[in-house]
Amino acid sequence: MLLSHGVDPSQVTWSQGPVADLLAEAVALPEVQGPFRASIPAALLGQLEQASRYHGEQRWNFLYEVLWRVAHGDRTAMLAGDRLGSELHRRIKQVSREAHHLHAFLRFVPLPESLVGPLQLDLVAFHEPAHDILQSASGHFADRLGRLRWLIATPRDGIRFDGQAFDYQRQCPALWQQWARNAEDPGAELWRTYYRHTFNPARLNPDALRLHMPGRFWRHLPEGMLIPQLEGLARQGKQRDGQAQEVAAQGGKTISAMKRELLAAKPPTQ
Amino acid sequence: MQLIAKLGILADAAKYDASCASSGAPKRNSRGGDGLGATNGMGICHSYTPDGRCVSLLKILLTNFCLYDCQYCVNRRSSNVPRARFSPEEVVRLTLDFYRRNCISGLFLSSGIIRSADYTMEQLIRVARLLREEHNFRGYIHLKTIPDADPLLIEEAGRLADRLSVNIELPTDESLQRLAPEKHAHTIRQAMGVIHQGQQAVANEPKAPRFTPAGQSTQVIVGADSTDDSTLLRNAESLYQGYGLKRVYYSAFSPIPDSPGSVPLAAPPLLREHRLYQADFLLRGYGYKAGELLGQAGNLALDIDPKLAWALANREVFPLDVNRAEPALLARIPGIGLRSVQRLVALRRERRIRYDDLIQLRCVLDKARPFIVTSDYRPAQAELRSGLLRARLREPQAPVQMGLWG
Repeated sequence: MLLSHGVDPSQVTWSQGPVADLLAEAVALPEVQGPFRASIPAALLGQLEQASRYHGEQRWNFLYEVLWRVAHGDRTAMLAGDRLGSELHRRIKQVSREAHHLHAFLRFVPLPESLVGPLQLDLVAFHEPAHDILQSASGHFADRLGRLRWLIATPRDGIRFDGQAFDYQRQCPALWQQWARNAEDPGAELWRTYYRHTFNPARLNPDALRLHMPGRFWRHLPEGMLIPQLEGLARQGKQRDGQAQEVAAQGGKTISAMKRELLAAKPPTQ
Repeated sequence: MQLIAKLGILADAAKYDASCASSGAPKRNSRGGDGLGATNGMGICHSYTPDGRCVSLLKILLTNFCLYDCQYCVNRRSSNVPRARFSPEEVVRLTLDFYRRNCISGLFLSSGIIRSADYTMEQLIRVARLLREEHNFRGYIHLKTIPDADPLLIEEAGRLADRLSVNIELPTDESLQRLAPEKHAHTIRQAMGVIHQGQQAVANEPKAPRFTPAGQSTQVIVGADSTDDSTLLRNAESLYQGYGLKRVYYSAFSPIPDSPGSVPLAAPPLLREHRLYQADFLLRGYGYKAGELLGQAGNLALDIDPKLAWALANREVFPLDVNRAEPALLARIPGIGLRSVQRLVALRRERRIRYDDLIQLRCVLDKARPFIVTSDYRPAQAELRSGLLRARLREPQAPVQMGLWG
């Protein structure tokens, strides 16, 4: 609409909520299409849509500026080598990275039998994405989880899947947040055990961990609280070999070449 | 023994295998259907441990009882470690529980050799079959292949798993004889051949049942013996060409508890491992040959990366004009990656490339500067001798810890 009236990006302020600029003088938006007919490459619409999920300064102003420049024939505004284009691609990258963070670091908690029936839910999760990716990126979990019913609550929005259809809420219902935040999880100890033991203390590299898994995600991960603890233990001189202390403390068992047939044939102990 | 106690022992026993990739599987999903799981080709790292490595799969051994006595292995029969064995149902239960929680994207199952190679392989197959057939599991499965197992068993595993791997562990016959007397280079290669043939048989048959769609991989241990990088890289190159391997993993030898005298006690050579991965990536992605990266016997330089090393050794190729050079040559400029090459090629169709564009593209200009020409820049350092350049570009080194093998 603004584009069709040829409104220059410098004349527009896009905002959500109350406007803080005291010098701003409100001008009513045009109500009908203006004369300018822009031709825009289809790829740009997808890129703008992606970048619009980015939370940050000048969220909408920026998109309009890119649209303005491309609509007026300057396609470099879409390319990563350009100043504006490089910011566009940076935002797209941040958004897709955040979707990837959702797929990677979200943790579902299975609800106990006593709640599965009344709530019609099998799994709940609480996650804090930095950008608005919940709605566009949650289909991934429906692909993974068959007919299971699940819910993801965030401080802003929420989504629920009943095994067939999604229910997306821009404002997450308080009840969903309660269920997701207060879910008890006695079964998490199994995962924490795995995490402790798959870690190799002889290769301690905490910077790489922080680079790939930013600290803001740790508090919703069952293993999050183990990270500083394991780093501390590894620094206290456990770096020479890779075995976890709990395993080293247990009695060992060598297999003699004579007895090996016998031992190997022993059925698994349940 | 409690499940949780077994999990501790058998995860600890499996951690020395570096591979944890869950990428490359075909598109599958369980939306609205029976069972569980999806793959879409992209790998997901669900967590990272403080060693900086990704946790993508549940990586465990079925058992760490083992008849073999490989000196570098914590589970060798003469090792004094606690032993445990999962039942196949227990592995299935753990996999599905962790998968539902979104902690993993699948299973990587390996095992000590019990009773016989065939028996062990059958046990691994049994787990995969339970997951795929009883539980309709469509997540990622990676099975370790026991080299001496019957080829028919290997083929069966290939139809159930997304990836199979046979570990080389030590790249020379001499080292295998000395440190892993029950293993043989020729049976390892035979098993790789069986997997490769299985892949070729379905390569152009879209309707045939899938066979290891995510490919096969292997692992070599770095620093447990005296093999040099030149041998390792030439070996990797021949595996990529001969058996169509997807990946060769390099695992810096981690000293093990109760270590035998035949393997080093030194800290793992992590920087050497890193340089090998960089060189390996240049083989797979950039079209370098092993012989270009290391012309003679020896190891890769530790103070500079292998791409910079190649550029310094081939100064006559540079400086390259970013506005004219072929994409394959652009990719040989230190500090400019494959993605930047694509973007530069797209941009130069629109206009001439300037120095500032490289900054916008976040190229590593400290490395690239002496090797490039743009419309507004020529390197003053082009005449600088390689030795001096190298002194400027080398990465700061931590104090050297001498390993047993230097």
